[in-house]
Amino acid sequence: MPVLQRMTIKDKLIFIIMLGCVTGLMLAGTAFIVWERSASRDNLVRVLSTRAAILAENCKSSLAFQDPKDAENILKALHVDPSLVSGTIFNDKNERFATYYRDSSIKKVTPAEFKKVIVTFNNDFLLVSSPIILDNAITGTICLQSDLNFLHESLKHGIQIMAIVTFLSLLAVFLMSSRLQAVISKPILSLAKVAKTVSEKKDYSARALKHGSDEVGLLIDSFNEMLEQIQHRDLELVNAKEMLEERVEERTSELTSANEQLTKEIDVRKKTEGQLRRAEENYRTQFEGAMDAIFVTDAETGILTDCNPAATRLVGREKSELIGQHERILHPPKSLVGEYSKTFKEHLAEKQGETLEDEIVTKTGKVKDVAIKASLIEVRGKRFMQGNFRDITESKKAEAFKTQLLEQLASANQELKDFAYVVSHDLKAPLRGIKTIADWITTDYADKLDNDGKEQLSLLANRVDRMHNLIDGILQYSRIGRMEEEKVQIDLNKLVPEIIDMLAPPENITITIEKELPYIECEQTRITQVFQNLLSNAIKYMDKPKGQIKVGCVEENNFWKFNVTDNGPGIDEKYFEKIFKIFQTLAPRDEFESTGIGLTVVKKIVELYKGKVWVESKVGEGTTFFFTLPKQKTGAEKNEEHLQTSAVG
Amino acid sequence: MRIRVYNLIVLTLVLFAAALAAETQTDSEANREYQIKAAFLYNFIKFVDWPGETSASDKPIIIGIIGKDPFGGAFEPMKDKTAKDKKVIVKWFKGLDELEKSSQMDKSGKHPQIDDIRECNLLFICRSEKEKLKETLDLLKDRSVLTVADMQGFLEAGGIINFVIEENKVGFEINITVAKKAKLEIRSNLLRLAKRIVGEDAAKKP
Repeated sequence: MPVLQRMTIKDKLIFIIMLGCVTGLMLAGTAFIVWERSASRDNLVRVLSTRAAILAENCKSSLAFQDPKDAENILKALHVDPSLVSGTIFNDKNERFATYYRDSSIKKVTPAEFKKVIVTFNNDFLLVSSPIILDNAITGTICLQSDLNFLHESLKHGIQIMAIVTFLSLLAVFLMSSRLQAVISKPILSLAKVAKTVSEKKDYSARALKHGSDEVGLLIDSFNEMLEQIQHRDLELVNAKEMLEERVEERTSELTSANEQLTKEIDVRKKTEGQLRRAEENYRTQFEGAMDAIFVTDAETGILTDCNPAATRLVGREKSELIGQHERILHPPKSLVGEYSKTFKEHLAEKQGETLEDEIVTKTGKVKDVAIKASLIEVRGKRFMQGNFRDITESKKAEAFKTQLLEQLASANQELKDFAYVVSHDLKAPLRGIKTIADWITTDYADKLDNDGKEQLSLLANRVDRMHNLIDGILQYSRIGRMEEEKVQIDLNKLVPEIIDMLAPPENITITIEKELPYIECEQTRITQVFQNLLSNAIKYMDKPKGQIKVGCVEENNFWKFNVTDNGPGIDEKYFEKIFKIFQTLAPRDEFESTGIGLTVVKKIVELYKGKVWVESKVGEGTTFFFTLPKQKTGAEKNEEHLQTSAVG
Repeated sequence: MRIRVYNLIVLTLVLFAAALAAETQTDSEANREYQIKAAFLYNFIKFVDWPGETSASDKPIIIGIIGKDPFGGAFEPMKDKTAKDKKVIVKWFKGLDELEKSSQMDKSGKHPQIDDIRECNLLFICRSEKEKLKETLDLLKDRSVLTVADMQGFLEAGGIINFVIEENKVGFEINITVAKKAKLEIRSNLLRLAKRIVGEDAAKKP
């Protein structure tokens, strides 16, 4: 069917439908005509037979009473049917009894023709015979002959009708199928169109419209699904492409940046090389111009590889004499251990970078003291020992001299201390004597002395007391660094109240301990002196009707920071330094009995413990003395036996 | 064969014509005529229905011939024939005159044959009984007997079927009124063939 193949779907559909229709119609028509023909033949036979039977019934009396005229009259009625050609009645002897002919041309029927069968079809005629039965006996036979024009006519008509019906049906089918074929062809055509669009424009977003849920609908669904997949794939492809491009770009930019980096690095390298070269030059310059003698030795073999001018000067040899030699030639035999010098070994082993002292020997055999600081350096994968040699022969001499001086100084100082102590001690005895004599004069010559004299004697006694206190203070001060006392654990919470009790402050002054005070480990006498001095100062100088003195302590770093705060007169800032100096008092001597030693003692003790002491104050509002003591482990034991007090004026 | 049949018919017609023309009936001619009439008589049975006639009953159909029998042996071929599945018996009776003459009356003053006559289904009254026609017909008045004769004025006398000769052919005429009185039903096939119909329905005959 190549013709059918070339047709469009639309035409194909129409063609197929019409072909089917025509075939059906033809078959149906043919069947109908065949059936109709046979039916009408049957019918004809039946009609003819019926007619023959009726005629037979009517004719039997004619036969019985031998009345052929009557029979012929009856037969004449046959002319109503033009298809009936002839009718013949035979009697029981098969003699022609009565006849009817449509026209004269009709061939006569002979008994032989109807005897065999009741119904005979020959070419153009149908012959039907029926016996005439009267009272169970056959009295004759009636024989009717019909032409088949009617049949032929009906066949012709049938074919005509069929042709017309076929034509009309074809027309109707054509019209209908032309319209209805769209149901099938339209989705397919639209699908084809979409497919074409897709293939031409590469537009995978196009979708075929679904018209129904038949196979074409399924096809469209599948197509759409396929398109979707393709679209998806396409998108992925595009994405992949973009990604690839991005990656290429990225890679390119990476490469570019790497290139730049490389260029930069090369620059840096160049710069570094320049720097290195400069550094090397610098090093060289330093090396060459160093004050110290520098020797470079192969760390493995101990062979000298380089040295600077200072080095040639140090050992009194030319550089050429030194290079290639073993380092041991630099040292006198006594500083050698085996092949190598002692310090070379030590530096090589564990004392790298440390300064060791050694001796060297010059070309002329002169031995010099040197300090050697040596460390390993690595140059092009090889280890070298670079040693800086400093001639310390002179400084060693100077040091020895200094030590000697210090010793002299120390002994002189000791003598001075002893002297101060002795003097102070010895001065007290005559003072006591003066005081005693003054008392005696006052008592013994009370009536002889006038008021003036008594006053002057009392003044004398007073000055003597002051002198005494002064000497006591000096004694105490000088004793601080001298006397050794056992360090014990002291609970300041106990010690401080005892000190306050001992000081017996006037009623208008209250002394409070703000916080719990720590345990400290120190000499009890000294810590007592510190608190005693600070508290007695606060009491002594209190100018307010209601004096407030507080003792507190906070932890600060590794120190205890104590404070003694009062609301007394305060101290001008410019005196903050001065007050800690010996024999310095701010108030006039006469107003307050003060030796000017107390704070000096405090400072000395605190500094002895590596602490600090300072003051903060505002004039008119009060003063706070701070001092710090290093924290020590608080022992479990508390030694409360050595509670000593010493009053300091 | 065809020629023979044709010849036969022609011969018959010629014979009939000759017989009529001659007015005198030769023996064979008369014989021939009565053969036909006998056949007609036999055939009448088939076209007439008697009251109460059922095929179940075994009563034979009796054809009576009264008077001087003109048939001769015309009934011979019909012997032991059946009609309507019944035996057909032909009985001959003497004329009433003769019966009266023969003093074989029974106690009621009647001849025993009278009853037999009355029992007939069909009674052919011969010409010999023309004088006693009325009596004969009266005898059968209350019976369903198809009376047949071949004499002029038979129908008017109260007979039912009368043979006539027309165009040298045996025909018959019928009195329907009498037939109806006798409760006999004559089929239309037969009526159609009648040359003349007398009676109430006579007008209907074209």
